[in-house]
This record gives sequence, structure tokens and C-alpha cells, in this order.
Amino acid sequence: MLEFLQALIWGILLGGMYALIAIGMTLIMGVMKIINLAHGALVMVGMYITYVLNIRFGLDPYIGLFIAMFALFLLGAFIQLLLINRLIDVDAILPENQVLLTVGIMVVLTETMRLLFHSDYRSVQTSYASWNIRIGDISLSVPMTIGFFVALIFVVLLHLFLKHTHFGRMIRATAEDRVAAQYMGIPPKIVTVVTFGLGSALAAAGGALLLPIFYLWPDIGHLFTAKAFIITILGGLGSIVGAFFGGLLIGVFESLGATYVSMGYKDIFGLIVFLLVLLFLPGGLKSLRIPVLRRER
Amino acid sequence: MKKTFIFSLMLFVIFLVLPVVINHPYYRHVLIMMMIWATLGVAWNILGGFTGQVSFGHAAFFGVGAYTAGLGNVHLGLSPWWGMLFGPIFAALIALPIGALTFRLRGPYFALGTLALGEIFYIVFSNWKSFTKGAQGILIMPQFTDKLPYYYLALGMLITAIVISFLTVHSKAGYYMVAIREDQDSAEALGISTARYKMLALLLSAFITGMAGAFYMNYVNFIDPAIVFSLSDVSVMIILVVMMGGVATIFGPVVGAAVYIGLNELLRAQLGSANALVFGILVVFIILFMPNGLVGEILMRFRKNVQGKKRGEVSGTFGS
Amino acid sequence: MLSRKIRGGKTLLLLSLALALMLGGCSGGSNNAATTTETNQSNAKESIKIGIILPLTGSEAMFGEMEKNAMLLAYEELEQAGKTSINGKKIELLFEDDQSKQDSAKAAAEKLINQDQVSMLSGGYASSNTNVIASTAQSMKVPFLIVTGSADDITRQGWNYVFRGTAAPASKYTGAMWNFMDSVVQPKTAAVIYENTDFGTSSAKGFREAAASRGIEIVYDQSYEKGALDFKPILSNMKKKNPDIVFAVSYVMDAALIVKQMKDVDFNPKLFIGGAAGYTMPEFKENAGAASEYIASTTLWVPNVAWEGAKAFYDHYKEKYGKEADYHGAQAYASMYIIADALSRASSSERDAIQKALKETKIDTIMGPIAFEDWDGYTNQNKPTTYVVQWQEGKLEVIWPEDAASKPYVYPVPAWKDR
Repeated sequence: MLEFLQALIWGILLGGMYALIAIGMTLIMGVMKIINLAHGALVMVGMYITYVLNIRFGLDPYIGLFIAMFALFLLGAFIQLLLINRLIDVDAILPENQVLLTVGIMVVLTETMRLLFHSDYRSVQTSYASWNIRIGDISLSVPMTIGFFVALIFVVLLHLFLKHTHFGRMIRATAEDRVAAQYMGIPPKIVTVVTFGLGSALAAAGGALLLPIFYLWPDIGHLFTAKAFIITILGGLGSIVGAFFGGLLIGVFESLGATYVSMGYKDIFGLIVFLLVLLFLPGGLKSLRIPVLRRER
Repeated sequence: MKKTFIFSLMLFVIFLVLPVVINHPYYRHVLIMMMIWATLGVAWNILGGFTGQVSFGHAAFFGVGAYTAGLGNVHLGLSPWWGMLFGPIFAALIALPIGALTFRLRGPYFALGTLALGEIFYIVFSNWKSFTKGAQGILIMPQFTDKLPYYYLALGMLITAIVISFLTVHSKAGYYMVAIREDQDSAEALGISTARYKMLALLLSAFITGMAGAFYMNYVNFIDPAIVFSLSDVSVMIILVVMMGGVATIFGPVVGAAVYIGLNELLRAQLGSANALVFGILVVFIILFMPNGLVGEILMRFRKNVQGKKRGEVSGTFGS
Repeated sequence: MLSRKIRGGKTLLLLSLALALMLGGCSGGSNNAATTTETNQSNAKESIKIGIILPLTGSEAMFGEMEKNAMLLAYEELEQAGKTSINGKKIELLFEDDQSKQDSAKAAAEKLINQDQVSMLSGGYASSNTNVIASTAQSMKVPFLIVTGSADDITRQGWNYVFRGTAAPASKYTGAMWNFMDSVVQPKTAAVIYENTDFGTSSAKGFREAAASRGIEIVYDQSYEKGALDFKPILSNMKKKNPDIVFAVSYVMDAALIVKQMKDVDFNPKLFIGGAAGYTMPEFKENAGAASEYIASTTLWVPNVAWEGAKAFYDHYKEKYGKEADYHGAQAYASMYIIADALSRASSSERDAIQKALKETKIDTIMGPIAFEDWDGYTNQNKPTTYVVQWQEGKLEVIWPEDAASKPYVYPVPAWKDR
């Protein structure tokens, strides 16, 4: 029982951080409907920025996080403005051009970092990285716990932003029906640029939170992109809350799967869940909300 | 159509004779790799370009084809060349459940579903060590020292793929597939059995991809799950090759493969560490400025004066 | 709209660019601007070309870089000793990048063998790439001296053109370790965890067989995917089974995470012994910090090993490149010396003559004596000298065999709480 609880808690903590990365992606996917395969690379860039700030200027990752977020906001906005926006108006046979463009962007980002930092593994050494809090017989890793709560705060803030600010409503409108939003006077170009920037900033935050626990190398992006997808679909496109709980769910599945079944096959659980959701619950977790509680409609 | 046929014949003759002119094993190697990738691109295009179902999991078929050839050798002592026959068959067999599962999904969801399935194959083949030898991979001794037999085999495989693709596209089934791509619901409303034709496209696509996989095993002589089931090195690259060359054209993937392999080799040999970066930048450029691929754009140039092409549609062999 | 105008001109430009590059790809091999050493581009008659295939870009670039640097270092030393000119011909090193990808390894091998007409090949870091290069080399009858690739099967094919001197087959890294086990540790139970790669799987297989023959019960046996974030599930499962020792084969970053999380989970086996690779690298200690203390491992080489020139190499490398070399660097360095030695004995610079000379090699290197023998199903495989090392006070000390030890071993290892 103890072991189960421990595995559960680890899963939740880890899932919270996965969720933060996924939230960036669900925002982007919800609004622009494009599959952004470069998302993981954006996380990676955010991590490198945090790393450099730590190594060069001694900034703690939790502080460097904010700078990285700002930088990635600009980078994401820039990418959307100059590159992706161009394709939205082009009518090619397959809209999947956009996906491939993100692949190209991913390669460019990854390789640029590789040129700058080489393929060496980098990590930051923080004093609290190995600290553990013990509650009874359960141990909680301090950086993971902090990461979880920061992720939670961001989720709440984002949710409030989307619900209660004018711009947030513009984003939601564009996500729901881009053309109708346009008719209502919402400039899609600006919304998409800001959204991509925001999504990238969140990705950077997620990465920065993981930096004390994990390590960094240019190809780390691939890991995160895959997870982010699964969580995004699981939670429901465009649903922040869905992505958060989706992240937790995936974290728990992996942790329990690794503990009770096999570590080698652990990623398969996420994938199977993913497929099941795609097939049987395409709206994701968000569609499970009881209609009575929904207030937007 | 006639012009097309003559042009294709000319190309065929050129390629037939090419290795006699280019007798350097290294160049032949490059050509063979181009042909493998061209085959993969043509195969993917049947499902992706013509039927509009963008699969991110084609590595599954490639890997199954390669492993059929390899495991036949490891477990049954068969020559890996048998894989050229059984690989495609097994690939088509697994296409059945894959299609059944994923065809109810549309657009990006289909793409993600196939991506997940491809990854599942990777994980299973990596971990089921007793059957697949896992990460140790399968190593076989090359059959021929000279590149020539491999060249002609690859050429034969590519031509088979192109012929299948051509026949499919110009058949009634082909028109149904394009209809499905353009608007699946309307097609269904018109009485086209979308499920059946999508599955047909998938089966053909998987079949050819499996064949390419089996050939790969025979040519490169070593495979492991990370190589043949790779999402980023196989599945995504196939899509890239087709997109660069021209989606929904018969020869687009061939051009795309030639550019991809040629570019990759050239950059690798010349640029040292910056090669991958330059490649990425070029990909971004090509997608931004030539969204219909190289062949697609060429065809658009030549058809500026044709009506009804404002959507940039290019279908058939050379736009016929 | 702007994009349409851009599209017109750019199309043609890019089209022509693409075509040019496509054709360029076919002639890509003619220059080697970025790949030769400081030596002049002598024409074919005047030089003996050696093709070296390493991951200079891609995910394994850090090893490729280290091995290239080590070889260049060795080349410099040989040059100063006048050993790089054989019968008036200069040894020329041609480095090719396999991009950490197997297809590129094959392309590189093809290019070096057929285009550049090298007399022999060397290099080979990742097992899968080494496999591909080896089969290509063997089929074209080009001698290939493997530097690092350690998949068991490569030298079990009976391929007489493939030589492995500085690398041991994965299952043979444990010679000294078993000696240590039999003499000192004598465990009853063991746990095995290993990464899902060729190296990990082969090492684990070797361990299992050796444990079985000694009647050691394996209470936990698990493979995992490289690059995982969270090892606590495996660690807590292992803790439940309470093995006497743990044998782990991991990549360096996984290794660091594993030992750090071992502390979190408070798992205290009597000895944690790694299967070389990640557990012996300086990055392991940097990332694991205090958790690396008392972790033991097998290895093929450490800087303070007794062979002549080892320490000098380590110091020289550190001075020149500002980084610490580990056994991969040593492998590359020693391989360069083996190459020079074989070339000096070969009757000509023809491939067959070099193959013969390699076969007859008997040389002392910084990794110990190297000879290519046929034994136990292996062909042209050097019998590896292995050690057991242990991290003590942040330094990697040799603890076994006793006559090579730099410090006495610490066994049983104190529990985390008692440190």
C-alpha cells in the first residue's frame, strides 16, 4: 500500500510538470489547429537559457525561469509571425505543410543549440536538488514538489487569463471558430502570434522547472514533444484544465506502470491511453465535464 | 498522357543505363539510397497525397518489412531475400488492424493516431528481445559485393512502386481516393465507400513500404528497432521527402528523395558540424516558398494559364 | 500579397539550387576540406590514407569529438617521433562523420573505401554503426580496426578483416569484476538493471550467465529505455527484493540519476557495480555529486592505470583540450598507435598486406598489451584487461586486481544514513 502511495505521488508530481509543457501545446493546438512538432525544441531552448543564466550569472533556475519565459515568448511570437503565419493563408493540397514546417523549425533550433553547446550533457547543480521531505514513510523530492506547485500556479493564472481578460476571450473565440472570430473583428494574426508566444513561454517554464531534476542536451526536445501530444489529446484540445489533469494522469500511469509492470514498456501505457482516448473519447477529458457545470454556453 | 508515357520511358532508360556510366560504388550507393527513399515516398503518397490521410507512422511498415527479412534469417535460416516477398505481405497484414483503428479519425487526429501506433511498434520490438533480438539488432553478411545487382533490384522495386501508384491513381479507385481527400463526407454522401478505399490505399501503401524495408535489410545488412522504427528518422523524413517533391504527384517523391539524399550526403561530406542545421534551414525555406513541393511548383509554372487551378491542385502524373 | 511575388523568383532560384545540390550530392566526395588533418594534401601516391568514421555530429558527438581529438594527439606524438612516414609515404587521416546515424555510417564507409581509396578503416563508436561499417569493410576486404564499438557479435562472425583491439566485447568487461566477486564479495543474490541498447543487453546477458554458473540468484532483472526521468519505480522494487549487489549498465546521465535517486529511496545494496560506460565518466561524478561515492564499476582503463604512457596521455589531453579524457579517449589514442605500428610492419600499403600486419600485432599500448587472437568464438579480438574501480572521495580509484590497485576497496559499502 505504501509503495502504491509513493508511486502515485511521484506520478502526480512528475505529471504536474509534464502538464505545464503540454499546456503550452494545447493552447497552440487549440487556437491554431496545427500540430507543433517543434514544441519540445522550444522547451529545450528555454532550458538552455535557464542553464546559461545559472552557469554564467549564478541565477537560480527558479528565477531564471521568468527570464527564459520572456525570451521564449519573443521567440515563439517571432516564429509564428515570420514563418507559420505565412502558411496559414496558403492553400496547399495538404494542410500538413504546417506540421512539416514545425519539423524544419525543430531541426533548426536543435542544431543551432548543438552548434553552440555541443552534444554534451549539461546540468545545473543546485543545493536543493537532492533534498527530500519526509511525510511519514513517503518521501517527496523537493524540486519536484516545488515544480508541481509552480505548474499549478501557472495553470490557475492561465485559466483566469483566458476566462476573464479581454485578450483571453479573444484567444478562446479564435480557438472555437477562427472565421467567425474574424468577422467579429478579432485580428487572427495578432491572436496567433501572442498565443504561440504564450505557449512557448509556458514550455520554457516547464523546462526550467525540470532542469534541476533532469539534465539537458540538444535532443531532449523529442521526449517532451511526444509526451505533450499525448497529454494534449488526453485533456482535450485547447483545454488548460484538461491538459493539467491529463498530465497528472499520464504521470501516474507511467509511475504505476513502471513500478508494477515493467520499466521497459512504461511508455507504452501512455501511448495506449492516448490511442484509447483518440478512438473513444476524442474530446478528451474536457468533454467529460457535466454540461450543467459549463457556464460559457 | 502520351507525353507522360514517353517522358517516363526516357527516364526509365536513363536510369537503366546510369550505373554503367556511373560505376563508382560510392555514387551507386547514393543512387540506391535515393531509390529506397523514392520508393518509400511513392508508397506513402498513395495514402497521403492521393487519399489525404497523412500517416506519421509509416515506420511501422518499414520496420515490419525489414524485420521479416531479418528474422526469417535469424529464426528460420531463410535467405533474407525471401523478405522481399513476405515483408510486404506482413506489412499489409498489420495495416489491417492499424487502418481499422485509425480510419475513424480525421485529419490531425489520424496523424497522431498513426504516430502513436508507430511508436508502439518501436517499443514492442525493442523490448520483445527473445523474438526480435531487441537493441542488439540483426546483422547479416552482404549477399553481393558489387553494387550493381542491388542497384537493379532497387530500380525494379521503385518502378514497381511507381507503376502501382500510377495504375491506382488512374483507376476508378484512384478517383474515389482523391474524392475522399477533397471532402470525405461528400464522397460518403455520394455513395463512395470511404472505409473501403481508404483501406485499399493503406494496404497498397503498406505493401510497398514493407518491400522497401525488406530491401533495406538486405542492402544495409544491419537493422535494429531504433533505426527502422524511428519516428524522426523514418516516418517524418518520408513525409518530408514527399512534401519537398510534391504531394499528389507520381514523380514528386522521386525528386524529393533525390534532393533529400543528395543534399544530406553533400552537406555531411562538406560541412562538418553545421550540416544538419543547413538542412533544417533549407527544409523551412522549401516549405515556406514551395508549399506544393518542387514538382508541384514546376507543374504550376507550366499550367499558369489553366483554369480552375487556383487552389494549387496538382494531381496525376504530370498534372494530367 | 508579398508572398506571391516572393514565390515566383524564389521558386526558380531554389529549384536551380536544389538541382545543383542534388547533382552535387553525387560528387560530394571530391573535396575533403573539413576532414583532413594538418598534413598537406599529398597526392595518392605519396600518402597512406586511413579512413576514420566517428560521430562528429548528432547525439553521440561528444564521444566522437573526444576520440578524434585523442587520435590527433597520438598522431602528433607519432609525427614527432618520426613514425608517421612509412617508406617515404605519409600517413594521412581522413575523418568522416557518421552523424550518429547508421545510414550515414554506411555512406561514409562507402565513400572512404571506394572514393578515397583508403588503405584501412578505423573508428566505430556506436555498436550499430560499427556493425554496418564492419560488414561493409569485410565484404570489400578492407581492414577495419574498431575503436569503441563493443557489440559481442561483431567479432563473432569469423570476419578476418575486422579487428578489435581496444574495445572488449560487452560481455567481457567483467573479468576483473568476477575475480573480485569470487574473492571478496561472494554475493548470494544480485539485481541487474540495464539500458535497452546493444551494449546494455549484451552486458546483462554476460552477467546473467556468469551469475548462474556461480549459483547467484538474480532477484531482479529489468531493462529500461535510455533517457528516463524517473528511476524510483525500479529502485524501490529492487529495494524490496533486497539484493546483495546491484549490477547496472547505463549511459552516463541515467547513471547519475539512478544513484541520486537511490539515495532518495534509501536503497542500500552492499555494493553497486556499474558495467563501465556511464559509471566511469567524469560527468557521472559531476552530476551525481556525493551520491557517486563508493559506486564501483568495471572498466577497461583509468588514467592512473599502470601501463606506460597512460598518465602522460591523460595529462597531455587535459592540457591540450581542457577536458578530461576517459577510456574512450584512451581507446582512440591506443588505436592510432596500433595503426602506426601495423603500417610500419606491413610489406606494402595494400589492404591485404595491412590485414596481415594487423593480425600479427603484438604491441604495448596505454591500455595494455594488444594482440589479435581467435578465442571463444571471437576472431581478431584482443583479450581485454579489465579492472574494477570505485569512486572514493570524488576520484576514480582502481580497487581490483590488488596488484594494480591504487587504493584499497571499500566493501561492504556504508548505508546512506551512515555517511
